[in-house]
Amino acid sequence: MSIALWTVIIVPFVSAFVLLVIGAYMPKKAAGAIGCVSVGISWVAAMFVASDFLREMPPDGFRTTLYTWMDVGGLNPGIAVRLDALSLVMISVITFVGFLIHIYASQSMYDEDGYSRFFGYMNLFVGSMLTLVLADNLLLLYLGWEGVGLCSYLLIGFWYKDATNGRAAQKAFIVTRVGDTALAIALFWLFVSFGTLDIKTILSAAPAKLVAGSAAATLLACLIIGGAVGKSAQIPLQTWLPDAMAGPTPVSALIHAATMVTAGVYLIARLHTLFTLAPPAMFAVAVIGTLTLFYSGFSALVQRDIKRVLAYSTISQIGYMFLALGVGAWTAAIFHFFTHAFFKALLFLSAGVAIDAQHHEHDIFKMGGLKRALPIAYWTFLIGAASLSALPLVTAGFYSKDSIIWGAYSSPLGAPWLWVLALISTFITAVYSFRVVYLVFHGEQKMEVSKHPGVLMNLVLVVLAFFSITAGFIGMPESIFKFDPLVRFLKTAFNTIPAYQNHANHAAEVMLLTISSALGLLGIFTAFSYYRHNRFAWIVDRSPFAKAIHSFFFSGWGFDWLYDLLFVRPYKTFAYWNRSDAIDNVFTGLASLARIGNSIFSSLQTGRIRNYAASLILGAAIFTTIVILRTKL
Amino acid sequence: MKLTWLILIPTIGGILAWIAGKRNTLACRWIALAAALADFALALSLLAQLDVSAISGKPFVQHRVPWVSALGINYFVATDGLGLLLILLSTSIGIAAVVASWREITDHVAEFHLAIMVLLSAIIGTFTAYNLVLFYFFWELMLVPMYFLIAVWGHENRRYAAIKFVLFTFIGSLFMLAGILGIHFVHAGTSGIYTFDLPDLQGTIMPAATAMWLMLGFFIGFAVKIPAFPLHTWLPDAHTEAPTAGSLHLAALLLKTGAYGLLRFAIPLFPTASLQISPLAMALGVVGVIYGAILSFAQQDLKRMVAYTSVSHMGFVILGIYAGTELALQGAIIAIICHAFATGALFLIVGMIQERTHTRDIAHLGGLWATAPKIGGFTLFFAMAALSLPGLGNFIGEFLILLGTFQVSRTAAVIASIGLVVSAIYGLRLIQASVLGPNVKNWTLSDLNARETAVLGAFAAILLWIGLHPQPIIETARTSLIQIRQDFIATSAPLNSDSGRINSTILPLNKFESRKNTGRSTND
Amino acid sequence: MTRSDLVALLPLIIIAYSAVILIVVMPFIYVRRSINRAERKWSYRLTVITLLGALCSVFAAARYTPKQVTPLIRIDGYSLFFSGLIIAGALLVTLISHDYLNIKLVDSKEESRFTSVQKSPTYAFPFYLLLLLTTLGMATAAASSHFVSFFLAYELISISLVGLIGYMREYKRSYEAAIKYLILSATASAFLVLGMAFIYFELGTMEFSRLTAFLELGKFSEIIYFGIALLLVGFGYKLALVPFHTWSPDVYQGAPAPVTAIIASGSKVAIFALLLRLVSTSNLKSDELLYTLLYILAVATMFGGNFLALMQDNIKRLLAYSSIAHIGYLLIPLAAGGKSGAESITFYLVSYLVTTVAAFGVVSAVSLAKQIGEIEKIDDYRGLAMSRPVIAAVLSTALLSLLGMPLTSGFFGKFYIFSAAAQSGLWSLLIVGLVNSGISAFYYLRVIFAVYSRPPANSDSIFKTDADQLPTTPPTSAICMAISTATIVFFGIYPTPLLTLARVATAYLGVR
Repeated sequence: MSIALWTVIIVPFVSAFVLLVIGAYMPKKAAGAIGCVSVGISWVAAMFVASDFLREMPPDGFRTTLYTWMDVGGLNPGIAVRLDALSLVMISVITFVGFLIHIYASQSMYDEDGYSRFFGYMNLFVGSMLTLVLADNLLLLYLGWEGVGLCSYLLIGFWYKDATNGRAAQKAFIVTRVGDTALAIALFWLFVSFGTLDIKTILSAAPAKLVAGSAAATLLACLIIGGAVGKSAQIPLQTWLPDAMAGPTPVSALIHAATMVTAGVYLIARLHTLFTLAPPAMFAVAVIGTLTLFYSGFSALVQRDIKRVLAYSTISQIGYMFLALGVGAWTAAIFHFFTHAFFKALLFLSAGVAIDAQHHEHDIFKMGGLKRALPIAYWTFLIGAASLSALPLVTAGFYSKDSIIWGAYSSPLGAPWLWVLALISTFITAVYSFRVVYLVFHGEQKMEVSKHPGVLMNLVLVVLAFFSITAGFIGMPESIFKFDPLVRFLKTAFNTIPAYQNHANHAAEVMLLTISSALGLLGIFTAFSYYRHNRFAWIVDRSPFAKAIHSFFFSGWGFDWLYDLLFVRPYKTFAYWNRSDAIDNVFTGLASLARIGNSIFSSLQTGRIRNYAASLILGAAIFTTIVILRTKL
Repeated sequence: MKLTWLILIPTIGGILAWIAGKRNTLACRWIALAAALADFALALSLLAQLDVSAISGKPFVQHRVPWVSALGINYFVATDGLGLLLILLSTSIGIAAVVASWREITDHVAEFHLAIMVLLSAIIGTFTAYNLVLFYFFWELMLVPMYFLIAVWGHENRRYAAIKFVLFTFIGSLFMLAGILGIHFVHAGTSGIYTFDLPDLQGTIMPAATAMWLMLGFFIGFAVKIPAFPLHTWLPDAHTEAPTAGSLHLAALLLKTGAYGLLRFAIPLFPTASLQISPLAMALGVVGVIYGAILSFAQQDLKRMVAYTSVSHMGFVILGIYAGTELALQGAIIAIICHAFATGALFLIVGMIQERTHTRDIAHLGGLWATAPKIGGFTLFFAMAALSLPGLGNFIGEFLILLGTFQVSRTAAVIASIGLVVSAIYGLRLIQASVLGPNVKNWTLSDLNARETAVLGAFAAILLWIGLHPQPIIETARTSLIQIRQDFIATSAPLNSDSGRINSTILPLNKFESRKNTGRSTND
Repeated sequence: MTRSDLVALLPLIIIAYSAVILIVVMPFIYVRRSINRAERKWSYRLTVITLLGALCSVFAAARYTPKQVTPLIRIDGYSLFFSGLIIAGALLVTLISHDYLNIKLVDSKEESRFTSVQKSPTYAFPFYLLLLLTTLGMATAAASSHFVSFFLAYELISISLVGLIGYMREYKRSYEAAIKYLILSATASAFLVLGMAFIYFELGTMEFSRLTAFLELGKFSEIIYFGIALLLVGFGYKLALVPFHTWSPDVYQGAPAPVTAIIASGSKVAIFALLLRLVSTSNLKSDELLYTLLYILAVATMFGGNFLALMQDNIKRLLAYSSIAHIGYLLIPLAAGGKSGAESITFYLVSYLVTTVAAFGVVSAVSLAKQIGEIEKIDDYRGLAMSRPVIAAVLSTALLSLLGMPLTSGFFGKFYIFSAAAQSGLWSLLIVGLVNSGISAFYYLRVIFAVYSRPPANSDSIFKTDADQLPTTPPTSAICMAISTATIVFFGIYPTPLLTLARVATAYLGVR
């Protein structure tokens, strides 16, 4: 089992190394093959690991160490991994979805140059992501954490010749680095107070060492939240994700939808004990989640770039997960991550097909009528959108999202406005997703289809579509049909579940289900009815107020502007102002002092004997005077 | 005796290379390279003698003969784990320096190799000297070849840079000389023994005020070399104007002599005083970290940009040294070593770019990846190392430093952590400005040749290795650092109540407490 | 006058007599171009032999030390050490001079220094004569134990130096320098004599021993103070201490390079040796008045010398200023006193003398190489390293030694005087000294940079290209530079023998 587990991690790293070092010298086919096969291997290995794990079901997970990373001053993290329900679900999704996306990319990216570099980065990402979710100590987790950040940077800026991509990549890296730094500080703190960075030890020791609800616990949790919001693009560090769409579509699908951006969710779930000890932090998580999903829902509503719509929707879906975490519905959060991985990846990939078909056109108002030309893309996108807007009963998103709303409703940590907002945004979600469906695939075709997807790509779409529908059936709520193996399984990973009335109140649950379904359907209907003749645009054109609102939402509620004003510009101004190091003036000042001394003395060197004699005699005079004064002669 | 050979071999090789270089430059290069390799091999053979399980940081190899007995000056070279690490670093960098200037240096090749080899000797001497005057001797000796390297083979503004470099470091070290003489006579006054040998001078009893003054003398000398924040302004000029090999030596070794001096002399000789200024020193370190990063971001000259990153990184080192916990000290050592390779490599790359494009102005650069992917890849790698990406050595160093600092002063650690963000800012700008973005000037460069690839590849491998398995280095430095920490502890126990220094010890303290407290009690 | 007395005085006697021989024999060599050369050759050879003989006789004399020959002269280890040093210095200078006098002096490129080729002095023997006389004066100064002999020596040095400085008489500046030196030294001597008079008035004797005894006991009367203050003026003039330094740059620049070498090295060493003998036994720093005077002198001299040198672009003036600064450094251990003070001064004087000779040796050698008069502008030295690497190496060794860099005797010299200061706790002076030697780095490095930088391609610079073939350096100058450089480096690596020697020599001062 441990061998299999290490295979899962190491194979992608090895292939990444091979591709990045000698990839440039190998034929494209070979590079693509290595890229895909390696992830495939690690998926198969993951499946073996899963089957073993499910057979044995070790009580507190399965731990295996490669070697001790370092051992200094009481800090002895190992290169060690721990497998439990949580990480098992994560690696299964990462490897499987990763595998599918690799296959898709091997075809869709084929014409790009830097093909092998692309797969090198992608494999490096998969490896780092697996390290992140499997690490048994926080230092190794941090390694994976930064590693995925690096790959995100590299892949956003994959088309490096365009400076704007470079800017987007830098923005992504630096903004997340801010969060990472908070996480790093949290690590220092944890080590100082716990004397170790081993997650298991910390979690088991936490209740004893940290006073529940104490300022220390809260601050610590908040630092961790800082890290989480950075990676998961939640308020206030969400601004990088929409720009991150500059990367290739498979990248957006894998990194900025399915896996990396959910690392924050994983982190909080992984350290949930610390959060249960800090109720204010829990509440903060819930609030952040809710605000974000609301915020990004509205932003998604008005975007013109299809990928930005999906980006905002990702932000908002992760907002749902944060909400779940905030109310202690850990399993619900992970369940939503599980389903979201499938349908969001699906949406991106089919959107990618559409974009390729339209000469890399991203503007949904310039696309249109692709329904007939790209049937598979259309149907799969439709399924994805349906799952995203939680179409009742038949989609995965429905079940996961409702488990969250139910959590928010029933948890003692929840609050009415939280689940009300969550409900409202189901409506918004439905509107913006079907807005895209309508504008891109319905209506009249605006330009001819330039490129048809390859068979592998379609295959991937179909597989993902299948899971976008069925993935939810393993987490059914009691009130409908009691079958939730996934949730039960996940529960084993969480030792502290906030005691909320476990599905006692069926009536309420059913009521919530109906409301959300109704809202979802209403949203779909709204989208169709409004975007047939694009009434929305019509309204916006009419009223200046609506226009202002529109541009406000469009700009992501002006966060970029604000941050530019508060941080970017002052930093640059100071840096450029001080380019030639003001400190140096001190020393040049000293030098000029010496020069002054020089000019004073050299003014005496007139070359005239009389002055020389004068100075000689003056000196004598001074001496004798001193003598006279001192000795009172 | 081995150590003496370690010091002599580069000079001898340099002289031979110089003689040969009069006729045949290629022979000159090969001789120099051979000498550097031989020295490296010798250093490795020393590594075999090191006993990592030893519990005392006493030097494990030493050679001591009277030199200027009239003044109590002995030729006393010795080394322990710490010194050995830096010797290995020096010799390996020495090899790289020869290789790096293979194609860049074309005029006065013979003299050039003489200079870099003598410089190497002086540096190794600095790392092995256990007699304060001998140390000062080598310390000053470093200036001469470095001055010539900048002044003769430097770039446009070399005269200003060379003289500025010498003035700063020379004046700084004169303060150190005052400190050396001071402790010499204070010790003679109390014990009646006129000696400059480090072991004898350790634990000299003196009034706190005297200790503070003398320590400041040493501190200034070292702070200029490191360089600590307000004294850093010589560094960008020197780095920018020096030839590649010169920048390599500067960044990788000369700066390290300052840090080494703090660890070997300033702290062990004046533990109490060092402890008293440690808050100030840590503050300087933190400021340096952020200030250097900001200035690096603002530069237009690629080499200057890299130069300022050194200010930032060495700020971390100062922070770690004066935090004084085992984690922080180990971190400082690793940071020292990794900075040598990461920044050194960046200087090599800048040198290679300049050699090909004849410009360092980032306005004219960019987009080199397409035409020279290897340059692109290595730039990316080492820039990532510079912004301390986990998995590469620099991360281990800076993480340990911050962790160790956090045990002592949370404020310092938290503020210094901002360094992680600002370093990302300059690191990414460095990449974007040089290899990514549009290729404005339509450069078509010849990519790295085998030799260049070999050097950079080796550096990269070392960084990766340290990043994933730093234990050997930690083991090697451990005993020496424990020794240093004991000084801190022995004095800090009565002084400060901060548990951070005490709690993470490996050894039972009493063994050292007894030894130290005898002499030290009077200072507190 | 016993036989042993004669042996003890042998060094001085030899020099004096050969001076007489020179002046008697040489003029009768009939002057034709051809024979003129013979005259040069022979006077040169005679001088060299004389100085060598004197140098050997020093060791002979050493057997009879310590010895008081008449109240005037005291021959002991100390005086012999310095006589030997001075004679050796003179010998080195002679080696340079021989070539220098053969120089074909033509109009230099910027200002016409030498009116024409033929105008180089006809006779050489007066030069050597004066050289021997001034050497005699210096040796006597080092050996004198009485104000009378001191004054004789002082004047002997001054007068013969005037002749030497003005030796290139068609050379306006040389002439001018001579006049300046003459007048000012006369003024200084006046103060000196007055000072002696005051001391005589108080003590009733002119023997040093009495004065030193007085100083030792710390019994100072106002008159003595006054006398000492005036003596200091006299010393200050010869040692070029600020504010009595003003003459030195002009004289250094005007005088022929070898003469400058003597002024900078021999005369200063001799006078300082005398000063040291006077005050070494007394504890100056305990007496706050004298200490104040010395302190002012030291600080003013160090800063003055270094500040003046900072922006100087004429190498001879620069060396003049640097020598001012170096005597300033030497005042620190003088104030510190004690054994280590005396020893460090002795060591430093040796290192200083050798280094100075080497530096001026280079100046004259370079001038010889180019036959267009003396090359003084620092910018003219650009490219020297390419065309004359060895000479460039010598020059930079000398400058680095002046700066006190390792591997040169200057390193240990500086180290020792500072350590003496530290030992007797003169921290303020020590810091001033350190700061100053820091400042000095600036101008020494400027020169070295010039030497090692490429000459400006366009301008008519003197050392144009590596290909630029120059007449090889004459052997004698080469020997001189080789010896001095070797000494610098040797004592830079292994100073112990010299330290031991200095200890032995200063032991005679009876410092406690």
